[in-house]
Amino acid sequence: MPIKKTIAVFISLIIATIVITGCGSSQSTATKAPSSNTGSAPTATKAPSNNTGSAPTATKAPANNTGSAPITLNGAGATFPLPVYTEWIQMYKSVQPDVTLNYQGIGSGGGQKAILDGTVDFAGSDSLLKDEQYQQMPDLQMLPMLAGAVVPIFNIDGVDNLVLDGQTLVDIYMAKITRWNDPAIAALNPGVTLPDEPIVVAHRSDGSGTTEIFTSYLGAVSKEWTDNVGVGKAVEWPADASGQGIGGKGNPGVAQAVQSTPFSIGYVELAYAKSNNIPFADMINAAGNQVTANADTMKDAMAAFANSFSERLTTKIVNAPGKNSWPIMGYTYLVIHMKNTDCDKTAALLDYIQWAISDDAAAQKAADLGYATLPDAVRTLVINKLHEVTCNGQPVL
Amino acid sequence: MAINEMKKTIGISTTKERFPYQKKLATWLQHGDRIWSLLLWLSGLLVVILVAWIGWRLWIESAPSRAEFGWEFISPWAKASWNPALDKFQAWPSIYGSIVTSVIAIFLAVPFSVGIAIFLAELSPPNLRAPLNYMVEMLAAIPSVVYGLWGIYVFLPLVVVPIGQSIEATLGQIPGLAIVAGGHIPVSGLSRLAAALILTIMITPTIAAVSRDVLLAIPNSQREASAALGATQWETIWKVLIPNGLSGILGAVILGFGRAIGETMAVTMVIGNTTGGGYSILKPGYTMASIIANEFAEAVDALHTSALIEIGIVLFFLTLILNAIARWLVWRVKKQVMGN
Repeated sequence: MPIKKTIAVFISLIIATIVITGCGSSQSTATKAPSSNTGSAPTATKAPSNNTGSAPTATKAPANNTGSAPITLNGAGATFPLPVYTEWIQMYKSVQPDVTLNYQGIGSGGGQKAILDGTVDFAGSDSLLKDEQYQQMPDLQMLPMLAGAVVPIFNIDGVDNLVLDGQTLVDIYMAKITRWNDPAIAALNPGVTLPDEPIVVAHRSDGSGTTEIFTSYLGAVSKEWTDNVGVGKAVEWPADASGQGIGGKGNPGVAQAVQSTPFSIGYVELAYAKSNNIPFADMINAAGNQVTANADTMKDAMAAFANSFSERLTTKIVNAPGKNSWPIMGYTYLVIHMKNTDCDKTAALLDYIQWAISDDAAAQKAADLGYATLPDAVRTLVINKLHEVTCNGQPVL
Repeated sequence: MAINEMKKTIGISTTKERFPYQKKLATWLQHGDRIWSLLLWLSGLLVVILVAWIGWRLWIESAPSRAEFGWEFISPWAKASWNPALDKFQAWPSIYGSIVTSVIAIFLAVPFSVGIAIFLAELSPPNLRAPLNYMVEMLAAIPSVVYGLWGIYVFLPLVVVPIGQSIEATLGQIPGLAIVAGGHIPVSGLSRLAAALILTIMITPTIAAVSRDVLLAIPNSQREASAALGATQWETIWKVLIPNGLSGILGAVILGFGRAIGETMAVTMVIGNTTGGGYSILKPGYTMASIIANEFAEAVDALHTSALIEIGIVLFFLTLILNAIARWLVWRVKKQVMGN
C-alpha cells in the first residue's frame, strides 16, 4: 500500500508540473508585450525610497547603499569588448562589493533584442540602433565605451614587414589585385621581394563587429566597395566568387586560416594579433603617413573625430584625417535607458559606467588588452549624458 | 475468504477494506490505467505539438524574407548572392553545400559502418568485442568541436589535401565531372570535401552502433536455421541477417544522415564558409546549419534575421522530406524481403 501511495503522489506531481508549466508558458507569451517597455520589469516593484543616501553626487564616490539589498545588473551583447568587460566586472567587485554585474557575450544583435525585450538592464553593441528601434523605445541611449582597431595580417614566405594603403586593400578584397607581386603592392614596399603567387583572402565567416569596422574602412576609401559590396557585420566577399576566399569563425578562425595558408591575407582585432604575436601590416593613412597600430595611433584617430558625434553619441572613426591616425577603427557602445523606474539599479549602473571610463586601473586594463580608451573630450560627452539620465523623472546623478 | 487472505499476505488491499468512494474512484480510474494512458497520450502529443510549434514559429518569423524573395530564395537557377550588407539573400549555395556534404558522407560511411557492425555482431572474438564496442561508442560521443579542431590541425593537411589533389588529378580531368571535382583544393584543405570527410568519420560510429544492435537483436534461431541448411557464415550474413535487419539498418542510416545535415560546429570549422565558389567539392563552401550558426548572433537587420530563419525552414523541410523518402525505402525493401 505505501508503494501504491507513493506512486499516486508521484503521478499527481507530474501532472501538476505539466499543468503548471503549460500555464506558465502561455502566461509568459501573453504578458510579453506589455512588459517590454520597462528595462527592469521584475524588480520594478521594489520600493525606490528605502535606499539611504543612494544617488551618488561625486564622480568617484560609489553609490553608498550600504545596508540596502545587493544589486544585480544584467547585460548582454557584443563579443568585441567582452574581454575588457569581463575584467572590468571582476575589478568592480572590489570597488563596489554590493553590486554584481553580469555580461553575456551573445552578439550585438542579441544585445539589442535583449534590451528591447526588457530582459537586460544594459546591452553592449558595436552596431548602431536603427530608427525603428528608437521609435519602439525612444529612451534608449548609446554610450561609446572603448574603441578597437582592426589590423591586416598576412602570411608571405620571407616577408616580415608589409605596408598597404586603403585602395590597395580594397583592390585585394575586391579580387582586382590577385597576385602579391602586383605593381600596386610593390610600389608601397620598395626593397621587398614579393612572390608571384595568387593572394588567398581570409575573412570572418560569423557576423562580427570586426568585419563591420573593416568594411567601414574599405567603404570609406572606395565608393565602389560601398555600392557593390556594402558595409556591415557580414558581406558577400568578392574574392569568394573566384574561389580565392576563405571564411574563418572568429578572430582565431581567421588567424588560423592565414597562418595555415601560404600567401594569404586576413584581418583580426589588434587585441587578438597582439596577444598571439601575429605580425600585422602597416597602413598609409588618410594624411599619407605610414602608421602602425598601437595605443598612440588609436588615440590620435579618436581625437580626430571627437567633435563628430551625433545626437545619439555615435560616430564612425575610420580613415581618420589625423597625422598619426590608425585608419581602421571603431567604437563599441553600451546601450542604456534614459528614463528609469528602479532608482537603486539605475544609480548602480551609472556609477559603474562612470567608474569604467574614468578609473585609471580600468583604463590600464583595457590598454593592456589592446583596446583604446576614450579621449578626454569624448569622456566628457559621455559623463554629461549620464547626468541626463532620470529615474521617475528625477536626475539620478 | 481465502482470496482475501492471500491478497493480504501479498500486500494488495482487499475489496472489503475499501470505502465505497475509494472503490468508485479506483473503478473510474481503472486502477491507475486511466492515469497512465493519459500520461502516455500527453507524451505522444507533446512530440506532435513541438514539431508543429517549431514549424509554425519558423513560418511566422520568416514572413518578411518569404515576401521579399519568394521561390528565388531556394532556386538553384537564381543569381546566387548572400550579402547582409546589401540585403540580398539567396540560400542555394548553402543548400547545395548541405546536400553535397551529407550525401558524400552517407555514401562513404554506410559500407564502412555496416562492416563494423557485422564484425562486432558476428565475427569479432569475444574478448575483442567489449573494447571495440566501447571504442565505437566513444567515437560517437566525441564533441563535434573536437572533431573540428582535430580536422583543422591533423586531418586536413594529412588526409584531405592529398585526397583532394588526387581527385583533382583524376576526376577533375574528366570534362563532365570537372564542375563538381575540378579546381585546386586550397593549401589549408578548407573545402566541401573536408566537411564531407569529417562528417563521414562523425556519422560512422552512430550508424555502426545502431546497426550492431539491430544485428544482435536478430534471434539466434535464424542463424541456426541458416547453418542447418548448409549456408556458410557469409551466406548467413548476407542472405539472412542483413535482409532481416535491413529496416533497422536503414533507420540507422537515416539517423546518420540527420546528424550529417544538421552538424554545425565541425563543418563550420573545416568548410571554409564562403557563399561563392561554384559547385566543386574541392572549393570552400557553406552549409545551411553553419550559415545560421555563424550569422544569427550578430544579425541586427530584420530581413537578415528572417532570411536565416527561412534557411531554418528549408533545413526543417529537407530533413522531413529525406526522412519520408527513407521511410518509404524501408517500407519497400521490407515488402520485397517479405515477398521473397
